[in-house]
Amino acid sequence: MTDPIVRLREELAALDRAYSPGHHGLWSARRRAEILDTALTGLFAVADSPPGMALAAVGGFGRREQLPGSDVDLLLAHDGAHVSEVAAFAERFLVPLWDAGFTLGHAVRTPAEAKEAAADHPDAATAMLDGRLLAGDPDVLDHLRAGVLADVAGDPAAFAGTLRTAAHERHERFGSAAHLLEPEVKEGAGGLRDVATIGWLELATGRALLLPGERSSLEAAHEFLTRVRSALHLETGRRTDRLVAEHQASIAAAMGFADEPRLPAVDGLMRALFEHARQVAYLTQSVFDRVGPAPAAGRSAQMRPLAAPAEILTMAALAAEDGRPLDADELGALSASPRPMAGAWSGDAREAFLRILRAGDAGVTALEALDRLDLLAAFLPEWAQVRCRPQRDPYHRFTVDVHLLDALARMGRMLAGDVPAEDPVAAEAARQIEDHDGLLLGALLHDIGKNGEGGHVAVGERLAADALERMGVEDPTRDLVSFMVGRHLLLPDTATRRDLTDDDLILDVAATIGTPERLAALYLLVVADAGATGPAAWTPWRRTLVRELVAKVQRVFDRGDMGAELADRLTDRIDRLRDLLIDEPSREVERHVLRLPRSYFLSVEPAQAAKHFSLIAPEVGAHEVRSAAVEGARPGAYGLLVVAMDRPGLLSWIAGSLSLAGLSIRTAQAFTTDDEVAVDLFEVEGAFEPQIHEGRWREFRSVLRKVLEGRISLDHRVDDKRRHYPPPRRPSPVTVKVDQQASDFFTIIEVGAPDRIGLLYDITRTLADLHLDVHLAKVTTYTDRVIDTFYVRDELGRKVDRSGESEIEAAFRARLGT
Amino acid sequence: MGRVKLVTAIVKPHRLDEVKEALREIGVNGLTTTDVEGFGRQRGHTEVYRGAEYQVDFVPKVKVEVLVPDDEVQGIVDAVVKAARTGKIGDGKLWVTDAEQVIRIRTGEMGPDAL
Repeated sequence: MTDPIVRLREELAALDRAYSPGHHGLWSARRRAEILDTALTGLFAVADSPPGMALAAVGGFGRREQLPGSDVDLLLAHDGAHVSEVAAFAERFLVPLWDAGFTLGHAVRTPAEAKEAAADHPDAATAMLDGRLLAGDPDVLDHLRAGVLADVAGDPAAFAGTLRTAAHERHERFGSAAHLLEPEVKEGAGGLRDVATIGWLELATGRALLLPGERSSLEAAHEFLTRVRSALHLETGRRTDRLVAEHQASIAAAMGFADEPRLPAVDGLMRALFEHARQVAYLTQSVFDRVGPAPAAGRSAQMRPLAAPAEILTMAALAAEDGRPLDADELGALSASPRPMAGAWSGDAREAFLRILRAGDAGVTALEALDRLDLLAAFLPEWAQVRCRPQRDPYHRFTVDVHLLDALARMGRMLAGDVPAEDPVAAEAARQIEDHDGLLLGALLHDIGKNGEGGHVAVGERLAADALERMGVEDPTRDLVSFMVGRHLLLPDTATRRDLTDDDLILDVAATIGTPERLAALYLLVVADAGATGPAAWTPWRRTLVRELVAKVQRVFDRGDMGAELADRLTDRIDRLRDLLIDEPSREVERHVLRLPRSYFLSVEPAQAAKHFSLIAPEVGAHEVRSAAVEGARPGAYGLLVVAMDRPGLLSWIAGSLSLAGLSIRTAQAFTTDDEVAVDLFEVEGAFEPQIHEGRWREFRSVLRKVLEGRISLDHRVDDKRRHYPPPRRPSPVTVKVDQQASDFFTIIEVGAPDRIGLLYDITRTLADLHLDVHLAKVTTYTDRVIDTFYVRDELGRKVDRSGESEIEAAFRARLGT
Repeated sequence: MGRVKLVTAIVKPHRLDEVKEALREIGVNGLTTTDVEGFGRQRGHTEVYRGAEYQVDFVPKVKVEVLVPDDEVQGIVDAVVKAARTGKIGDGKLWVTDAEQVIRIRTGEMGPDAL
């Protein structure tokens, strides 16, 4: 005859093989327990047991939930009359099982010892509550189990408190099975031990703690979690309860998940697991809250079914505004109500939904409740795609829907003035916001495009627009929400990847954002989004960069350097320029648009800018100078464009060469491209005659070339030239102003002086002496007086420091007089 | 067995892509980057947003580390310096140190073979 232990092993192995690894659910677990029952009963019968003793199955084995890798939990209950015989029996009985490789959990206890153990160790108490007789004296086990049960049933609240503490510690240690990418399906929040916990609480209170609908979703979750855990045991060949990424693909396949167009099989598995675990986690918490005196019956009888969809949302809104979760009666009424039809919302539904969003954390709790009843996706079909969808990147800890609800909660708190002390920027931004509904909707919908299609920002913008349309949310709120969804990565992407010392970049960001309110809205969304993502997403490193960008863009708005109107004008002008350059290669046109500073496009008409293209666009050689003159708007005035590699002193050499060639400068504008090419525009007049003939232009070009090549020195020649001209007709004082506030990137120097020949040369020469690099210049002549403005930086690209300011003034006074 | 050097560079965050690209072009297969904060000549400062002031003590930078065979050090140093330079303040620093032992953990290969 075959050894019974060997036969037991064979039978268990046959059961494991009988179904694919993904199909070992509760039925298989029960069958496994029965196989053990039969074998252990048989072994007990031939093991010559002492009187007054019983063999019991406890724990998971007691509940007949014996998984492929589970320990076999046994209890030897005895009356204490034959202690040494019981000990000898335990050894005789258990050692062969150990030797055969079974992992046994066992205890030997009298009823009194059992009560003591149960009082000290909640795990021991619950294991014994699950106890059932396998063989031996039934009275001994009944006595033992009744004692343990009496203790917990005598004070169910205390027992619930003990279990709640244990659950809390367990969840802290193992995390949540409802959203972690590598969930612990037994001990994690929403895992199998939580399912068992609900059973123990019902046992202790002696009543049903779940609504019928809740019972069926708990049973479905129990079955699913059991299958996952069994598959994990079979897949790994051992007892392991964490579903690590390595095994997810094979378990998904074993459980019948297949790749779908927007959902890979592994994500399908994880989504299903999260959905079930989320129900379990919620029901566990609810059941803890329901232990205590049974509620007075009656209210549910009065609660009429909800007819209109708006009533569903209104019920949730009322609970949220009270700051409480929906109670069992309300949940019952909600689950009995008809699903809302897809399509346009009523005004009442919209208002109720917005009231839920405005209710802060309690509103989020209400949305979670609606989601568990499948109502949220009924109102908002876009939600179905993000629901329980895992995010596989190094930053995200949560599924998309959990992330969105957490972002909403964080946004609500900030708008209510609850901002972490270390973020004065968020506090100030929150104060700027008037359209709270817009920000709440923006937070709720910002990642709605993460539906597996790819390119979640663009997809999200489209989906959000559709959703807002159905909700009946109107402009300007609708526009703000679309903007937030479409641009929610603008600040962090720009801040971490682009050069924040580039003034044109800041102007472009300001132009894209348009208003200080929208800037504040985007920053708050970044904070809410990052906080809801996980600790790695909002490091001091990222925060510093994002805030630097926000502060710089805000100052651009404060100074009026960019705003909605200017942004429109800029876009309009660049579009017109593109139209005019339609025959040029579009890549070169786009490069041209990026190369030149925004101030160039704002001050040069598109028609004129189009003419500049052929001179500016081709690469400029180190010693090359390009120039072109056109007749100006006024008679006798000419426009002159000079293009050359920028270098310290260039502007002064051009100005000096113009003076030597007998050309007097009325206005000038100097720009620098992002690759350091100077683009200088002058309006000039003939100093001697109204018509400027080609000869003068040629002379100018020739002088400038010689200067650049170092063949002539300008200083003495300009001085010489000056002697041939009369002094200014009406003397006026020389003024020098140094402004550090008007730009984050440049020191701005404004010089006023009476007009005279060679003035611009003298001024720009002074700047060159001081090693100041002119990024932008504007020269304007008012009859006899000239006002020149220069945006300058030092050689290291910094603004001028305090000590440099007085040096600048002194240098100008020395050269220009007082 | 040839020697191995560790090239460490602190660069501006927005130059990281250029540095990576430059290293890829000269055949560097692996590097490590870390978001770091610190200060050099570019000190901390006070930042203001709509009147709300806060102190920024450290400037965000990216640390790039590359292990390279001794004879390739100069090419890599030149490539990083060129790619990271903007000419403005805060372009960062680069230094080269000896890597006494280098082991590829999976295979146990050592020195240049581990690169």
